Amino acid sequence: MTNNWSDSNWGVLAQRCMVIVVALALWEFLPKIVWLQKLSAVFDPFFVSSPSLVFQRVVDLSIGSESQPAMWSYLFDTLTGTFIGVAIGTFLGAFLGLLLSNSPRLQRVFSPFVAILNATPRIALIPIFVILFGPTLTASVVTVVAVVFFIVFYNAYAGGCSVPVQTVQNVRLMGATPGEIMRRVRLPYVIVWTFTSLPNAISFGLVAAVTAEILTGKVGMGRLLLNSIASVDATLTFAVVVVLSVVGVALVTLADRVQRRALHWWERSL
Amino acid sequence: MSKAPPAADGRTTFGNVDAHREILSLADVQFGYSAGAPVIDNLSMSIDAGSIVGIVGPSGCGKSTVLSLVSGLLSPTGGRIERRLDGSERHPLSMVFQKDTLLPWLSAAGNISLFTRFKANRKHRFTQVSADGQAEGGSQEEELAAHVSSLLRLAKLTDYAEAFPYQLSGGMRRRLAFLVAVASHPQILLLDEPFSAVDEPTRVGIHEDVFRIAKMMKITTVLVTHDLAEAITMCDRVFILSNRPARVAQEYKIPFGTERRMLEIRERPDFLELYGHLWHDLSIQISHSQGNGARLPGPAGTLN
Repeated sequence: MTNNWSDSNWGVLAQRCMVIVVALALWEFLPKIVWLQKLSAVFDPFFVSSPSLVFQRVVDLSIGSESQPAMWSYLFDTLTGTFIGVAIGTFLGAFLGLLLSNSPRLQRVFSPFVAILNATPRIALIPIFVILFGPTLTASVVTVVAVVFFIVFYNAYAGGCSVPVQTVQNVRLMGATPGEIMRRVRLPYVIVWTFTSLPNAISFGLVAAVTAEILTGKVGMGRLLLNSIASVDATLTFAVVVVLSVVGVALVTLADRVQRRALHWWERSL
Repeated sequence: MSKAPPAADGRTTFGNVDAHREILSLADVQFGYSAGAPVIDNLSMSIDAGSIVGIVGPSGCGKSTVLSLVSGLLSPTGGRIERRLDGSERHPLSMVFQKDTLLPWLSAAGNISLFTRFKANRKHRFTQVSADGQAEGGSQEEELAAHVSSLLRLAKLTDYAEAFPYQLSGGMRRRLAFLVAVASHPQILLLDEPFSAVDEPTRVGIHEDVFRIAKMMKITTVLVTHDLAEAITMCDRVFILSNRPARVAQEYKIPFGTERRMLEIRERPDFLELYGHLWHDLSIQISHSQGNGARLPGPAGTLN
């Protein structure tokens, strides 16, 4: 009976809550033990703050205070950069994945270039983007596109290639041209695999946007993080990280919901 | 038998011959992959329009390759394959594969009307087939809807028109795959072991529907199967292929006419006798394919 309850949805949820409570309690109270503080900086409240202070700072960030302006304009900039970058990167990655999966000739020509570009550390290119586009939203968007494109491209390409050979032969016998095979048969597979890559694309897109903002130091939540580092304010750093994590989880959950609703036939066909 | 002049040019030609008959002929067809032994060697057969022909043979002898050659998915390395189509706007050829080729994001009705989404078939006029096999007309949209619905009815899938493939049983999906293939009213239909994954009772039910619809729509059908009972009950003629390289080892005419009750046929003495003869001839080929020339026990002689 006990085992059944612990395996049920409510049981799993309760266990998760317990893990969170224990972790927060350890974070809150361990740094208050003096001999631990002396043992390592990891237990020094100056560096690790505490959940209660972080929670208070998140509230301050939400409604604003005398010492802390509200975060919404910063968050808006970050989300704008992330959304635009993810949208452009996803479209380009899916489109190129579709094209290459449908054409062996294009595959042979372009695959080495794609591999080389993918191996390039794109975060290292952010300074170049900043020089090219200035410390603006554009630099964030370009950085996000550079990161998201490859995540989506490889998924979309694999999706396009995953169409069973008999399915392609069947529609070819029905009179489908290569263009029609691409649009009518490969495209739905590419869409499915692109959706599958979206949680990763969004997570990495958010990270890329914030990284670009830290380097430009002008816009977004990255600027808040930069401020917190400059003023050695661990509580603000953790508060920004918490906000970004919540936003990331919300976006990934939304993408997952849309995928489940739009692609019900895929989940059930597996 | 074959009207096609034997020529080792490796071409597949498309003629529009009015016809008493022969809609498909293979003359001394050869095929092999660049490295390795030939798969098919001097294979000749002719197939009459409207008939259902079965091809059986040892496993791996090249049965499915024959269908790939007839469909044009592969090109022969020698000999000649001639498709003598009737010049009507009926689709030339369709195929049902062993594996599922239904598009999972389309409903049953959507899959059946899939071929109309391709430019080559946009002007297709639909021949809704009535019970007496006569074609009926209407506007193109109406014709398509009526056509899809009549096909669903013929295969007892009317209630599943809007169901997605994942909502159908294995047998229903095979029926649907068959409907997708015949929806364009092809002149030639190739069936590549399409029912092998279905349980026996369901399979017999599908045989009855497929046989009835193929005869009603006057579709020349070539069935590759490893199931002798399936070949005998569904076909007008059965070719037994030899071990690799494949050629026709034996040909049987099946005397059961155009009105068939699949379950009853299987209980008839002449079915059982025919089955014995086919099994005997097939067993010889299987013995050869397994590397010994000895015959398996069975009745002597053949019924040609």
